[in-house]
Amino acid sequence: MAPRLLATAAMDAGFHVATAETIGMAQREGSVTSHVRIGDDVYGSLIPQGTADLIIGLEPAEAARNLRYLRKGGSVVVNGHAIMPSTQGKGSEEYDPDRLIGFLNDNCPDIISADFTRLAKDAGTYKAANVAMIAAAAGAGLLPFSQEYLWDVLEKMIPEKYRDVNRRVFDRAIESVSDTKGKGMESRAFNDGRVR
Amino acid sequence: MSSKRILMGNEAIAFGAMKAGVQIASGYPGTPSSEVMETIASHAKEYGIYAEWATNEKVALETAVGAAYSGANAIVTMKQVGLNVASDPLMSLSYIGVKGSLVILVSDDPGPHSSQTEQDTRAFGHFANIPVLDPSTPQEAYNMTLLAFRLSHEMETPVILRTTTRVSHGCADVVIGDIAPIPRDIEGFVKDTRWTIFPKLTAQRHPLLEDLQLRLSDCFSEYFEDNSFNSLSKGSSRIGIAASGVSYLYAMEAVRKLPGVFSVFKTATVYPFPEKAALDFLKGITDLIVVEELDPYMEEQFLQLAGKHHLNVNIYGKKNGCFPVSGEYDVDVVIDGINSSLERGNTDVPGLSHSPPAINLKEVPSLLIRAPTLCAGCMHRTVFYAFKKAAGKLRSQKGIDSVFSGDIGCYTLGNARPLNMVDTCLCMGAGISIAAGLSHTQEYSNNGKAKQIAFIGDSTFFHSGIAAVVSAVYNSADITIAVLDNRTTAMTGHQPHPGIGITAVGSPAKIIDIAEVLKSCGVGLVRTIEADGLDGCIDAATEAMQFEGPSAVVFRGKCVAISKGEGQYIVDEDKCTGCKLCISQLGCPAIFSISSGLPVIQDTCSGCGLCAQTCPSEAIVLKEVL
Repeated sequence: MAPRLLATAAMDAGFHVATAETIGMAQREGSVTSHVRIGDDVYGSLIPQGTADLIIGLEPAEAARNLRYLRKGGSVVVNGHAIMPSTQGKGSEEYDPDRLIGFLNDNCPDIISADFTRLAKDAGTYKAANVAMIAAAAGAGLLPFSQEYLWDVLEKMIPEKYRDVNRRVFDRAIESVSDTKGKGMESRAFNDGRVR
Repeated sequence: MSSKRILMGNEAIAFGAMKAGVQIASGYPGTPSSEVMETIASHAKEYGIYAEWATNEKVALETAVGAAYSGANAIVTMKQVGLNVASDPLMSLSYIGVKGSLVILVSDDPGPHSSQTEQDTRAFGHFANIPVLDPSTPQEAYNMTLLAFRLSHEMETPVILRTTTRVSHGCADVVIGDIAPIPRDIEGFVKDTRWTIFPKLTAQRHPLLEDLQLRLSDCFSEYFEDNSFNSLSKGSSRIGIAASGVSYLYAMEAVRKLPGVFSVFKTATVYPFPEKAALDFLKGITDLIVVEELDPYMEEQFLQLAGKHHLNVNIYGKKNGCFPVSGEYDVDVVIDGINSSLERGNTDVPGLSHSPPAINLKEVPSLLIRAPTLCAGCMHRTVFYAFKKAAGKLRSQKGIDSVFSGDIGCYTLGNARPLNMVDTCLCMGAGISIAAGLSHTQEYSNNGKAKQIAFIGDSTFFHSGIAAVVSAVYNSADITIAVLDNRTTAMTGHQPHPGIGITAVGSPAKIIDIAEVLKSCGVGLVRTIEADGLDGCIDAATEAMQFEGPSAVVFRGKCVAISKGEGQYIVDEDKCTGCKLCISQLGCPAIFSISSGLPVIQDTCSGCGLCAQTCPSEAIVLKEVL
């Protein structure tokens, strides 16, 4: 849903768009990456390495897994809420989300890291963490269009009974980054990502 | 009137088909093709289209063929592996041709992201003598769908519209025309000897079919004149790039810092290959770089052309190792391929550069592998675990080993650790036939010391399971069939099937009962059981495995992706002994262990209760209880 939301809002704001999504087998709890390209200079939907303006990492390890796409001077919005694997696959590393978030905070100059899952859960549903993250990106001025375009699309996409809770998540997420808006944003402290 | 909308490539194709006046649509779901039929089905009532999910791709194609024989505009949709299932009617159909129009939408999956093969449908078109169109963007997919219907009608041939994952599942702003209600004035079937394939007819038709390929090749060469789908551009160097599909975009982005240097041959009409245009292009070129995913299809066309006309041109692609022969391409892969070609070509064009990432990737901590797995609360986990337990008993009590033959669907993920319950997986329906084959070998070689169990899903059962059951029963295969009936086609996005009682357009339908089918096929023991109780599942599995001759259990449950979970479980830390059986045995993604050694159940728990039933200390309880 997240890539389509961004793309539709961007189109409404007058841009050309292209997205690449992963659907099917790769979705079953696997590692999934979606690409969104916005602007007049859109070629294919896959972003070349080192050219992404923004990485929205719905999970710390997945954000780190895709760092090769980030351009110099690009931004990262990362959810500190780790999704722990139930079993360690062969050759897999022990997952230490705190260490990973520490690495991201130390190495990405423009980063917003927060527990967006908890933010969404506090506002009514943990499932809206993706909405929270996109709203935060808009609120921090990291998207080339205003947050109103996003909400207009969300309002159409979300069934009426979930609209209020999503609005709450949306507003709280924007509020949470209001102090970081504009350039020179500061790294936000990571609070324990795991929700018990 | 036209309007601009955000559309996935598959949706753009559906809108193109409806704009072209499609009247009959049939298909079998398969990633990345499924949304074409889903979109048509969701608009079917509005525009007066007949749309259906067929039981498999062969049936879907034949249904569409029947409609086209009657003069209808028809589309059939499938993925590349599905085209194999449909290849029997396809190969004969090319000889016969169609009236009306017939577009065959086939989606390829380079990578692959969710397929058993990386096969290339362009090659299949070549093999079957059926024209193949290969769009590079959702907009082009829309436009080429219109072209496909037109060509099919004019040339009286089926046309393959071939996409790849990045076109099928990419979204873009697409300009589409308004769709008027589609007239149902279908001429009707007119009896004629041309519809009945016999050796004599084949002999008559084959030369005409070959002639059609030549005419189409010329026709596709003419498309370069108006730059509609095919284009030629002249560069300042004597180096050319040829590309089709999404690879064209990767190539253009790769060379964008050297504008106007390369001559570019872009074709979206890949088969029959537009030879005349390609020959024009090759003249004046010393080095040709062919950029294409999957098979070296165009590369071979150019190599043949150069050989046939004694052209002194170096051709770089997969065959001389400049480009990878497998896997999905992107701009970075194409940059490396072009650079490798330029180095060998001894040209003075500078190499292309990658954009360096913002972060030194060597410093990124090593990351966990996050492989796809069964969802939290998936009924398949309970069934797999039950069979694991039943097989353990059989081994310890009677010394009989079990082999588990899997199939295509979500339940292929039963191969993941710690379940490890898929010993073979080949293609749709093969679980049953492979188990049968294994059972016939053990009788002689293993003296009945191995039990064969086949897992199959509900949609797959109808797709190609039934014929395998009939064969297994008739030939006395000693197998146990476990039907994992989660009441949907889950892997591809929850399409209905004949066991559900609802059609593609949401109308009620007669339910085909899987257990009754199994009984009527002569399976000796058939049980149906709800999959939510582990003990009941173990008992059913044990009974079926101990039955001599073909036996079956239909495990009925629900897909957690579309049904609401009932409550959530939590670990009672006072009772938990930290044995971690719930983690080491089940592999449920909702459960993980923390540093204290105790398991934690996450919000994604959907309340299936398998972990609670497994816990020896009764330490896993419903959240409300604690």
